[in-house]
Amino acid sequence: MNRFPGHNILPYALIFPTVAVIAVFLIVPFVQAIYMSFFRISPFGRVRVYTGLRNFEELLRSPEYLQSFLNTMLFCAIVIGFGLGIALFIAVLATQKIRGAAFYQVAFIWTYAMSPAIAGVIWALMFDPSVGIFTALLETITGFRLNFTTDAVGAFLLVTIASIWIMLGYNICFYIAGLQNVPNELKEAALVDGAGPWKAFWIITFPMLSPTTAFLIFVNTLYAFFMVFGMLDVVTQGGPGQATEFLVYKIYRDGFARLREGQAAAQSVFLFIMVASIAGFQIWTSTKRAVYSR
Amino acid sequence: MRSLRHVLITLLVTMLALGTFASAQQVVDFWHGMTGSRVAVLEQVVGGFNEIDPNMQINPVLMGTYEEGLARFLGAYPVGQEPPLIQIYEVGTQAMHDSGMIIPAYQIPERLGEEWDFGQYVGPIVRYYSRDGNLWSWPFASSTSMLYYNADHFRAAGLDPNKPPTTWDEVHEYGLALQAAGVVRDVIGFGWPDWQFEQQLALHDQPYVDNDNGRADHGTQVMWPTEFTDTLFAKWSAMAADGVWLYAGTEYSPNSGFTSGTLTMMLQSTSSLDGIMRTVGDDFEVRTAFIPRFNEYPRGNSIIGGNSLYVSDKASDAELRVIFEFFKYLARPEVDVFWHKNTGYFPATNAALKQLMDEGWFQESPNHLTAFLQILSGRTDNGNVVGSRIGPFVDARDHIRVAMEDASRGVAPRDALNRAAERINVLLQEWLEFAQ
Amino acid sequence: MRKHRKELLNLATHAVLILTLIAVAFPVYYAIVMGTHTHRDAYAFPPILIPGDQLWQNMLVAWERINLGRLAWNSFFIAIAVSVGKIVLSIMAAFAFTHFKFRGSWLLFPLTMITQMLPLPVRILPAFYLMASFGWLNTYWALTVPYLASTTGIILFRQFFLTVPDELSDAARVDGAKPLQYLWHILIPLSLTNIAALFVIEFVYIWNEYLWPLVVTTQADMRVAQIGLRMLYTSERAAAEWNIVMAGLFMIMLPPLVILILLRRQFAQGIAMQSTK
Repeated sequence: MNRFPGHNILPYALIFPTVAVIAVFLIVPFVQAIYMSFFRISPFGRVRVYTGLRNFEELLRSPEYLQSFLNTMLFCAIVIGFGLGIALFIAVLATQKIRGAAFYQVAFIWTYAMSPAIAGVIWALMFDPSVGIFTALLETITGFRLNFTTDAVGAFLLVTIASIWIMLGYNICFYIAGLQNVPNELKEAALVDGAGPWKAFWIITFPMLSPTTAFLIFVNTLYAFFMVFGMLDVVTQGGPGQATEFLVYKIYRDGFARLREGQAAAQSVFLFIMVASIAGFQIWTSTKRAVYSR
Repeated sequence: MRSLRHVLITLLVTMLALGTFASAQQVVDFWHGMTGSRVAVLEQVVGGFNEIDPNMQINPVLMGTYEEGLARFLGAYPVGQEPPLIQIYEVGTQAMHDSGMIIPAYQIPERLGEEWDFGQYVGPIVRYYSRDGNLWSWPFASSTSMLYYNADHFRAAGLDPNKPPTTWDEVHEYGLALQAAGVVRDVIGFGWPDWQFEQQLALHDQPYVDNDNGRADHGTQVMWPTEFTDTLFAKWSAMAADGVWLYAGTEYSPNSGFTSGTLTMMLQSTSSLDGIMRTVGDDFEVRTAFIPRFNEYPRGNSIIGGNSLYVSDKASDAELRVIFEFFKYLARPEVDVFWHKNTGYFPATNAALKQLMDEGWFQESPNHLTAFLQILSGRTDNGNVVGSRIGPFVDARDHIRVAMEDASRGVAPRDALNRAAERINVLLQEWLEFAQ
Repeated sequence: MRKHRKELLNLATHAVLILTLIAVAFPVYYAIVMGTHTHRDAYAFPPILIPGDQLWQNMLVAWERINLGRLAWNSFFIAIAVSVGKIVLSIMAAFAFTHFKFRGSWLLFPLTMITQMLPLPVRILPAFYLMASFGWLNTYWALTVPYLASTTGIILFRQFFLTVPDELSDAARVDGAKPLQYLWHILIPLSLTNIAALFVIEFVYIWNEYLWPLVVTTQADMRVAQIGLRMLYTSERAAAEWNIVMAGLFMIMLPPLVILILLRRQFAQGIAMQSTK
């Protein structure tokens, strides 16, 4: 551990910039956000009135906030469920002993380079009510004409599909890396024991992938909670109605557009509690894994 | 050594010269929300001004939608990042008045020791943006709503394009006829649906809020649901149930349905007129008419929309000078006429209006006349017909839109509007409590 | 017989993979094709799926309309500055945490926790006011400095430094090398793959950032490319000129894509490293 004894100040100097940035730009504003959440701030910032827990009470009673919370959770669940399912399926195929496996392993990476805003616009074209191919296809098959600018389900679907799409490259990469770490001997042992490939996958490979799955659930949750912002702002602006006004977008709208800074700060605190529990869960699973793999 | 000093001195002199040149030039940032085809028109107008005097420059910055422009100005001002000049939509009127961040328009000439005749602006615009008889923002791009219709569709369904529907019942009948003839599936869409609700209140002399529709003092509560709004929402619901009315999204989103021929009629701002005509081209004949109404209720008027110009009270005298020159330039008849002809916004001054009439412009392009006739033929004598002014207008509109979406899905009129009324009343109370 | 079946299975695997690949790539292809047509052709029905010849003209229009040259430069500058800054800071911190015994070493865990638990949206309003009080709104400072701490980077380098055998540092110490000389001459040259991986991750991340640049910039010349895309898309919503929007989108999506493709191997190794931490 201590490979250079006698240097007492150097390590502090080395970590100082990182600690300083985190303290000034992360911790200080967060503490201020907690403080602000106890105030009602006038729309033009001139008056601050201490209102205790009123902001929190109003949020908990607000049907809009509840709706936003439920929509976010639903969105998150779909992105994780479908996104990881598809990614795992492709990753398993791409790690088979086939010719050109290496090609597939890089061929799916690129969606990682797309921003949520870009993905949103690309899928807005697919969903365009008049020229979108997806809309046309859907209408031919089901007779239903989807219009994401007016239809809550349409907008939600657009954002969800674009999100699954954008996370696909990242998820596949991690699953491929995870699958390559699963020792072949184990799989072969299971096959020799008479388990079919399907069963061998579920009893050997999938449990061995659980650290990767836990990590990806965490990353995809972060995406669904925060990163999706750019897509929402460019394509739906939270609408129609409030169908795509997810928690992160609601904070932005309340804080910067509706001029309700106190209420937005209270939402930040709630959001923090949610993130902290998710992050805690992620750390709990990764420590459990450390014990497990020993 | 000497050559180095020589170079340094030359450099210094050049920099000083450039510095003085730069300081004589005053550039004023101008945040605007002119999206779509109007961007280019606005840039032409500003470009014309910038050519006059190189030392007086206006720099137009697109801030996104109106709503964003308003929010960003109110957020930027306290931290010193506001522009001296900003375009704000009519929804932000009360918020800007209450913000304490602006110089009321009527005080600008005074501040510069000049005079300006505000009587030269056309009546409806002056009435809308005035408070206690004085203009608080500078008239610029004013519009109102009107009915756009596809005359070719009318013909195809055997309807007379010279007789557009004037009442909601007729809209409904025409819609059924158009559907029966197989011309379209959905018939009418509303641009800015929340605004169309406000238009209907004013058009029938109904108040939105108390205190003379928020014009005598801050409104404290909304004045609906009423029997009138029941009638209105019941009609809209019935039309939606028959597929005649399509809730086609906010702001300008129904435009694409209308221009591509999937909708026959549309209520939309006059400011879309030129954009629509350019997009449609020769594909079909675009005509316009008054907003449909209910004849059994009193007559009111259509209300002004669009936007006006505000000046930050932190603008320096030098900036204010440029801004005032820009305002004078906008009032030139030829500029105003150009603006009107290329956007569909009302000409702001009486002189421009006269020039347009002398030119025979309205005979040549009757679609540009419709909204004028509509607003000039209505009442002007109370707050209901001039239009409401409320602080939390942006939020209120969110709730109105939800109510209208509900109505389009068949929710009972009272239920839809009661919900909105409850929410907006809370907003109004909060505004009274915290905005002062 | 068995071999035959296996070949058939392989063929099926290939077919599924290729079909999926096409399905995933199609939206991008369609978007770019839109960018190569005239307005009229972009609205043709049934849609024209082969590229036209208008891409260059459309790109010019989009470039002009949102002043993309300036926006792309901002994005590029910020992405490079943050990537480099993060790499430097992470290496420094990881070096401290792996090569020294000092009282601050317990900080690693809490710092990691804090950065994971405090993403921007939970502190956005005060962070905005903090920038205002520094006078940093509409400057590169606001767009770069708050991003500089990266526990991802620290952990990535820490994992790697721990695998470097002690003998190397012992030998260096015996030769009289100071710690920073050892870091510079021995460790960093060994870490190039990790550096490249972190560079890709951070460049893509910063180029694609949206919320923070939206909040801390109002001036047209301080905007970033992602916001430019919004301006391009929103300003045309009334009658979406898909050909122009997509020509602009094409230019905006290209830089991170090129960097990812160039450094894909290092990126994949970085990911493998992260997933086995």
